[in-house]
Amino acid sequence: MKYDLSRRGMIQQLCGGLGAVGLSALLGEGTADAATPGHYAGPQLPAKAKNVIFLFMAGGPSQLDMFDPKPILAKYEGQRPNSVDLRTERQTGGLLPSPFQFKKAGRSGIEVSELLPQTASVIDDVCVIRSMYTYNPTHVPARSLIHSGTILANRPSFGAWVSYGLGSVNENLPSFVVLTPGGGGEGMWRAGFLPAEHQGVPFNDAEIEPEKMIANLRNQWLDAKEQRHQLDALQALNRNFSAQFGVDPYLEGRIKSMEAAYRMQSEALQVYDIRKEPEAIRQEYGKTPFANGCLMARRLVEAGVRFIHVYYGQGQPWDDHKGINKELTARCPDMDQAAAALVRDLKRRGLLDSTLVVWGGEFGRTPVSESGDGRDHNPYGYTMWVAGGGFKGGLAYGSTDEFGFKAAENPVSIHDLHATLLNQLGVDHTRLTYRYAGRDFRLTDVYGEVVKDLLV
Amino acid sequence: MGRCALAVFLLGGLLFAQAPDTAFFEARIRPVLVAKCYACHASTLATPASGLSLDTRAGVLKGGDGGTVIVPGKPAESRLLSAIRYNDADLQMPPNGKLSDSTIGDFETWIASGAPDPRTGPSTAAKGPAPLKGMSIADGRKWWAFQPVHEWPAPAAADPQWAKTKIDSFILAKLAEKSLKPSPPADAAVLVTRAYVDLLGYKPTYAEVQAFVKDSSPKAYENLIERLLASPHYGEAWGRHWMDVARYGEDNSTGEATNTPYPYAWRYRDWIIESLNRDVPFDRFVKLQLAADLMPGATRADERALGYLGAAQVYHKDQRLSHDVVYGFLTDDWDERIDAVSRGLLGMTVACARCHDHKFDPIPTKDYYGMAGMFASTMRAERPTFDVPPEIEQRFLWVQRRLQDLRYSADLLTNEASTVVGSEARVVKWKAEIESLRTEVEGWHDRYPQLVDHLERFWTFPPPKPANPPPAAAAAPRRRRASPTDPFMNTVYDCAQYVDGTDKNYTMIVYKAGEARDLPVMMHGNVASPGEIAPRHFLTVLSNGDTTFHQGSGRREFADDLFTDGAPLAARVIVNRVWGWHFGKPLVATPSDFGVQGEKPTHPELLDDLAARFIAHGWSLKWLHREIMLSATYRQASQPRPDAEAGNPGNTLLWRMNPRRLDIEAFRDTLLRSAGQLSEEMYGPSADLDSPTDLRRTVYGKVSRSRLNNLLRQYDFPDPMQTSGGRDLTITSLQQLFLMNSPFLHNLSGTLAKSVAGESDVPAKVRALYRKILSRDPSAKELELAVAFLNGSSVDEYAQVLLSTNEEIFWQ
Repeated sequence: MKYDLSRRGMIQQLCGGLGAVGLSALLGEGTADAATPGHYAGPQLPAKAKNVIFLFMAGGPSQLDMFDPKPILAKYEGQRPNSVDLRTERQTGGLLPSPFQFKKAGRSGIEVSELLPQTASVIDDVCVIRSMYTYNPTHVPARSLIHSGTILANRPSFGAWVSYGLGSVNENLPSFVVLTPGGGGEGMWRAGFLPAEHQGVPFNDAEIEPEKMIANLRNQWLDAKEQRHQLDALQALNRNFSAQFGVDPYLEGRIKSMEAAYRMQSEALQVYDIRKEPEAIRQEYGKTPFANGCLMARRLVEAGVRFIHVYYGQGQPWDDHKGINKELTARCPDMDQAAAALVRDLKRRGLLDSTLVVWGGEFGRTPVSESGDGRDHNPYGYTMWVAGGGFKGGLAYGSTDEFGFKAAENPVSIHDLHATLLNQLGVDHTRLTYRYAGRDFRLTDVYGEVVKDLLV
Repeated sequence: MGRCALAVFLLGGLLFAQAPDTAFFEARIRPVLVAKCYACHASTLATPASGLSLDTRAGVLKGGDGGTVIVPGKPAESRLLSAIRYNDADLQMPPNGKLSDSTIGDFETWIASGAPDPRTGPSTAAKGPAPLKGMSIADGRKWWAFQPVHEWPAPAAADPQWAKTKIDSFILAKLAEKSLKPSPPADAAVLVTRAYVDLLGYKPTYAEVQAFVKDSSPKAYENLIERLLASPHYGEAWGRHWMDVARYGEDNSTGEATNTPYPYAWRYRDWIIESLNRDVPFDRFVKLQLAADLMPGATRADERALGYLGAAQVYHKDQRLSHDVVYGFLTDDWDERIDAVSRGLLGMTVACARCHDHKFDPIPTKDYYGMAGMFASTMRAERPTFDVPPEIEQRFLWVQRRLQDLRYSADLLTNEASTVVGSEARVVKWKAEIESLRTEVEGWHDRYPQLVDHLERFWTFPPPKPANPPPAAAAAPRRRRASPTDPFMNTVYDCAQYVDGTDKNYTMIVYKAGEARDLPVMMHGNVASPGEIAPRHFLTVLSNGDTTFHQGSGRREFADDLFTDGAPLAARVIVNRVWGWHFGKPLVATPSDFGVQGEKPTHPELLDDLAARFIAHGWSLKWLHREIMLSATYRQASQPRPDAEAGNPGNTLLWRMNPRRLDIEAFRDTLLRSAGQLSEEMYGPSADLDSPTDLRRTVYGKVSRSRLNNLLRQYDFPDPMQTSGGRDLTITSLQQLFLMNSPFLHNLSGTLAKSVAGESDVPAKVRALYRKILSRDPSAKELELAVAFLNGSSVDEYAQVLLSTNEEIFWQ
């Protein structure tokens, strides 16, 4: 870290995270919205989007069964032409065709698998990137790559960069929230060397009662009135202490932060409670943990949270090494329903234009079989999609080779995707930097190009 | 795919066959060169990679260090084409991802057609700011931080009455330049609290405050400092500071088969605490952490210090992956050590020189790989805490890792037999080796049964499942799990690591115990692009003469060089850190970066003088604490002064003491101590901080790199993945929710209420609570407020109020 000795810097150090006291409030700059400004200092690009919702399919969903039709696999079933002799994690066999039918969907006529009828229904709002690639065939390094642009486990995640760069919109909420069943994880939402306030705050979306999602949100022993009474007594002592000691930004900040925490108890109960939604909306999303996460993500966007990760399931559910057809048949429906409902719902509310909805995993899967009826990890070519935020709806971009193994036409790296998403947030990815350990770090390191063809 | 590429090629050929010479180049070739190649291969760069420039026609035709790269008209003879096709495992360009087949086809078309290239001068596209070039070694030797340290004469103090130590003269002189005056001394209660928090890591009790306030001896303060420095709790507080620098952790970012947790890391933590309490000279303190196993006179107990390297982050290595991928993970492990050591001990950002020479500082990549070789020759291993003959111990250190790899591999290919060609045969072979090692290890059983027990888990396989399991299955031999109390330590030893990629389907790591290796400079940090060999050596810019290492890994030589050639820098860095921990802000605002990108010291002569005297006093940290804490500068009040703030915003000149929030360790310990709950028990395996029965000091809480405790996380605990130069102390609502609503605070409040239940009346209860929590008596007004509150609310609630006050979490 560097000790920032300016007053503004000092106060910024004191502010942050969930319900940080607004910087402008502390500086007495009284602006209309007491948001915490970001640190991005590069040229302000035209910002199409303000928020990001990343629907993360840990394990690596199969592009070949969902978005990238390769009917030729049936013709060469069981064969192993030289061109599919790419090294993946495990031993693979011959080509494995997908049993799922693809149909042209929407006005755009993009082919989508029968596994995803709901996604097909919103496909004209979705930009399907069929030529993604990444750099490592195993889960943890690849997850680290898509989340932070590097396999090193000490670098900030995408959400932390966005929080750092753009600041927070709502001082009573964190700017980076992670919705994941169990509320645990492997540090993929870390702040790394960025100030700790930018780390993702994990909420357990297997629960729908806010008290269970967020530790210490409610007092189990006092009601609101008693607690107010107690807080008044505390603040009286705090004010006396300030009067004795003198003006100090920490002391002032903490007095305000206590009030914010008190208010948050009830505000959070509103924002974080999807049971406040009309039943029809709940039905539209579904009522699985992932559906709850998607619906919550929309509420958080409305409340001003910058970046929301929604994890599908615990562990790495999309890691279909065996019995992939049966597994996908069972797993796709609730994912499909909720993800599509989110796109539809955001659009209905006029929020899709300013929200980037990103869907995908850490990699895709092989066209060759593993264990006869499964597919191995495939970092060479796979599909992700982005809806909203100025991405072209109804576009199928790029392609994999003839068997769907490797990105062939217009390959898009994870760095390119990061650069393009940042671009839509108004940020030049080469200029969102943080000086640490002797150099300027970037989310995209020395890589990444904005893929203009994806954009409106 | 072959057909696809051919189709594109034909199409490209047809389209452009009759096009004028350079249109194809402009449309298809130049944009790719600009986007993918110029960053490393441009004539505008100081040193184009491999001497190859692709931004001019001349450069393309001339080729690079390895000869020509294109032969116009002959794609088959053009190495550029082979490189972009990734034909040759050792030359794949661009290194960060193969170009699309259609683009490769374009290049083939272009070369086949004679490589028409209209470019004449150097590239314009790559022009921009001149490429950054770091300082030369010669200029680096003049850099302030690398100069010898020496004592400075004390500036004539403007106020000799005020100045108590030499430090004060330096501080006063700078204040005088701005016409600023220091603050008056802090009052006794504030001062004793400051000293307790600073040296012991928690606030004093009422009795401890009173003992000092009432001590009328002229040496009362000096005596207090001596008493606190002699307390065993000093090591707990200052040990934690060092643990921030040492990025102490007890597991890895993930806990997979090849990067399991460090169950004995706590012994390293205990060693830190003990050593600081004994005031082990700082140079020896550091040397032991780098090389206790190689130092004469170091005891077995000292080898706990090796947790600095032996419990560091490592990445999982899935051995089904290719040679280069596995090798990449290994180099990431080594990179972690380089970063922690160079920034933590020297304030130098050597890790910046992994892919290219440092862009600012005098650190060539050769220095980076010279250090990396040291870590490539150092392997982590669990050592016994008891004495074992060296030949058995050496074998034990090697065998444990080999057994772990064999067992991991056998399990992997048994459970997922389909994942690698010939899994069954491999498993048979590995199991045979496990058996053979088992026989060898069991030979130690009579004399060293604990060594055998420790490895037994690697050869105990569950019995094959019977077709019809009997209802009460006979107790199968269970794989014994390592317990933190087993007599072992997480350490390192000299052992060169290599990646064996001869088997294309399964990569093995080879450990050569007692051997060392030099690494090649890896171009752009890429293991597939080895360059010249970098002998293991100390950082060139700090070295006087040749500092190539000759003994084993070179860890001991490195450690020695740190405190000879590197001594001025090492002393400046630790003195600056210690100053920062005492005052809340260091003299150099970037305590882990003393390079060009770092800040300059606010008081260079003071830093120099203190560093020189620190060395002269035998690198004694306790001497340094005394020197700092006995100064008038340290004893100042911390109240804000608007006039001084205007003259010196941010108090960089120290016209007052910096008031601060307690860090999480001091806060939690102080809360527990207020309620009389803090356990005095020192040392031992780590505890779960979330457990309601854990009443030990926070420094004994488990530090996980994969799942950091939420309370620590909320209160700005540093990321244990990297060396930390200081903590950002934030204010967030989640922190306040912990105080308002957590069972922890609720329980403490209840305990406190019970402890004052026997007091005669409400004012007596309030007074007792004030003494327990804030270590003072309430004012009349405070008493009145409390009595009014308690007329309707409970004592528990009031105890919680006092625990939550700004006064409690703040120190002046």
